[in-house]
Amino acid sequence: MTAATDAPVRHRPPRAGGAVTLTAARLLRIELRRSAMPWILPVIAALFWFDSYRFGTGSPPYWVLRTFWNMGQGRTFLDFAPFVVGVAAWMGSRDGRRGTADLVAGAVRPRWAVQLAAWAAAAIWAVGAYLVFVGVMFAVYARQGLQGSPPWWWVAVGAAAVTAFSAAGFAVGAFFPSRFAAPVAAFGAFLAVIVSDQNGFGDTSGWPLILPTNANGNYQPVSGIFYPYLPDLPIARMMFLGGIAVAALGLLGLPARAGGAWLRRAAAVVTLAGVAAAGTASGLARTARLTPHGMTIPALHDAASDRPIGYTPVCAQAAGVPVCLNPAYRRYLPEVAADLRPVLAQVAGLPGAPARVAQVAGRYTSGMFENQTDVAVTISGTPPVLRVPLDEFNTLPSATPGSAAQFDQELPLLSVHAFVGAGNGAGTTAQQAVQAALLQHVGLPFATQVQALAIFGLPPWGSEYLQGLVSGSESATGPGSPGGPVYAAARRFAALPAAARHAWLATHLAALRSGELTLGQLP
Amino acid sequence: MNVEISDLTRRFGRTRAVDGVSLQAGAGVFGLLGPNGAGKTTLLRMMATVIPPSSGRLRLLGRDPGGYGPRREIRRRAGYLPQNLGYYPGFTVAEFVEYFALLKDMPPRQVPRAVAAAVEQVGLGDKARARLRTLSGGMLRRAGIAQAIVNQPELLLLDEPTAGLDPEQRVAFRALLRGLGERSTVIVSTHLVEDVGAACSEVALMDAGKIVFRGTPKELTARGERTGAAGDAPLERGYSAALAAARSAAAVRS
Repeated sequence: MTAATDAPVRHRPPRAGGAVTLTAARLLRIELRRSAMPWILPVIAALFWFDSYRFGTGSPPYWVLRTFWNMGQGRTFLDFAPFVVGVAAWMGSRDGRRGTADLVAGAVRPRWAVQLAAWAAAAIWAVGAYLVFVGVMFAVYARQGLQGSPPWWWVAVGAAAVTAFSAAGFAVGAFFPSRFAAPVAAFGAFLAVIVSDQNGFGDTSGWPLILPTNANGNYQPVSGIFYPYLPDLPIARMMFLGGIAVAALGLLGLPARAGGAWLRRAAAVVTLAGVAAAGTASGLARTARLTPHGMTIPALHDAASDRPIGYTPVCAQAAGVPVCLNPAYRRYLPEVAADLRPVLAQVAGLPGAPARVAQVAGRYTSGMFENQTDVAVTISGTPPVLRVPLDEFNTLPSATPGSAAQFDQELPLLSVHAFVGAGNGAGTTAQQAVQAALLQHVGLPFATQVQALAIFGLPPWGSEYLQGLVSGSESATGPGSPGGPVYAAARRFAALPAAARHAWLATHLAALRSGELTLGQLP
Repeated sequence: MNVEISDLTRRFGRTRAVDGVSLQAGAGVFGLLGPNGAGKTTLLRMMATVIPPSSGRLRLLGRDPGGYGPRREIRRRAGYLPQNLGYYPGFTVAEFVEYFALLKDMPPRQVPRAVAAAVEQVGLGDKARARLRTLSGGMLRRAGIAQAIVNQPELLLLDEPTAGLDPEQRVAFRALLRGLGERSTVIVSTHLVEDVGAACSEVALMDAGKIVFRGTPKELTARGERTGAAGDAPLERGYSAALAAARSAAAVRS
């Protein structure tokens, strides 16, 4: 049947051009005002304070150490991720839950654009909060006078991760618009970051390096002090996370209701571009290799990033020998000089005795910096220089109340160990005996040496020694018990007058270092 | 004609929600009557370009909504109040109306004035800053009407607009409808026949997806005279009589 009324079709004047930006800005303003994200920020703030900020405060006053937990291990992101994903899913499911899908789908603006505005508001709140929280933490750190430089690359990775997770959460909510979308998405995000975090402990190479909370990478103790933070892995991770964000947002534009045909084609292209970016980044991560200064990815690596950070060392005198440190370690200079003074006094005048002590950068061969294999205090060069990688030490003087005493043992021990030429192993029995005698004279009694050697990783199987797992060859067993032959020889050598010891060392030091002397040849 | 519909059908699975409807409408208030499940809402959703027809011809404001560009232009010039109005509880009335004004691609500089005018027209001027979650059902309905008329639409589609309104508001709303109908095509779906009698110049009665009557409210009233059809008011009796006649004719045909 037909019903009809007569009236002409009226035409309205064309709409004002160039208004798209202003419209988008106004939409965004409304979404920002009414986004649910701010409601969850106090919870995140509390968690951030308890979980991210507090844990870093006990570390030595270096940016790289203080921020390792919250930036290097991505703990701050971990605090954000579940909540951000949950709220983003809540926002994404809004039209479905609230029954506004017809209104939005019947509007001029494509539904995709409307969804992007809602997501952008949620993401701006989340990323903004992340940057503010990290900014406040960094401001506090800066007031505390931390040495080195802040890990800006890793802050950017965290911001990219928050963005990507908000996009993924929003997409989940948009495609599954139920009230359960938010808690399910939040729990999924929590699982994802926990798995990523655990991978960070187990996987030091391959694609898991791309995961945002994988702690392996170029977050080395020398970063920001001796060398810049290498940007290779952060760039790959940002590419990966950006790809995920783009792909998730592109997916929103694929359904028929999202917009016109060309818009959906564009969404498909965007989705594919995002997937390609994420896939490429994962592929790049597989090519990553760990260098002493951090993780490099050949396709992304800029040789300029390998250049050491220039500095003018700060120096003090110990037994007439200059002891020079990186200015970032200035606060430890008196203690380092004091600890080395008796060692340098013992060896002064001997051939190959250090003419200078210099701090050098540690070299890291495994992913996480807690896992370095040994501390490489060495004597090399002409004139000889005692090279001390302070960042590799078990602890620095001010880290904990007991750490100063530990440091006071470790530095002389490692220096004497280097002096007798024992290298990274236990050394020969003759070297062990001379080492023990010299340590006795620099303030480390025989009775405490075995335990000290084990604690400080000399020989490097110290922990196994403590567990009673090692037995066998001379080079692996170390000096043995204080009642054994090594310590008997050491006691004899230590009992000699200083001049006699000095004279014997002057004559036999080269042979001792080359490993040619036996225990029986000691005086 | 602002609305030109020819043999329009919409299927949901095996169900024909709208079955071969033809309709033309220009300026004026056009009432769409019918029992629950008659297909009124589906017809309005197609006219609002929310869902496409399964078959048939649909031209709105002189354009075919099958094309993306024309569909956008139709949406820009149309207003739609769904039967189940969804809303964002945290938005204020003004924000809600502004939001949809922006989605309708109104020139952004005109939006604030248009929003204020629309909110005023539906009598919510003093509630413009109130959150939607604090409003009564009737006020929410009026907020929905405000978002539908904010762009001064040439085609206004209202699905059960008076549901939840109190008598005073309904009287005011009918006056608003008559005003809007002077310059636009207003299609009102309702099962409240008194609304049709008071505000509509044309009326169509739908049943089982088909239009079974069209004419003026007077003509519909005349259908009920001396028929003994159920109803308290003359128009209700006309409605019942027309519906009964259509159903018996359909039964004979089948």
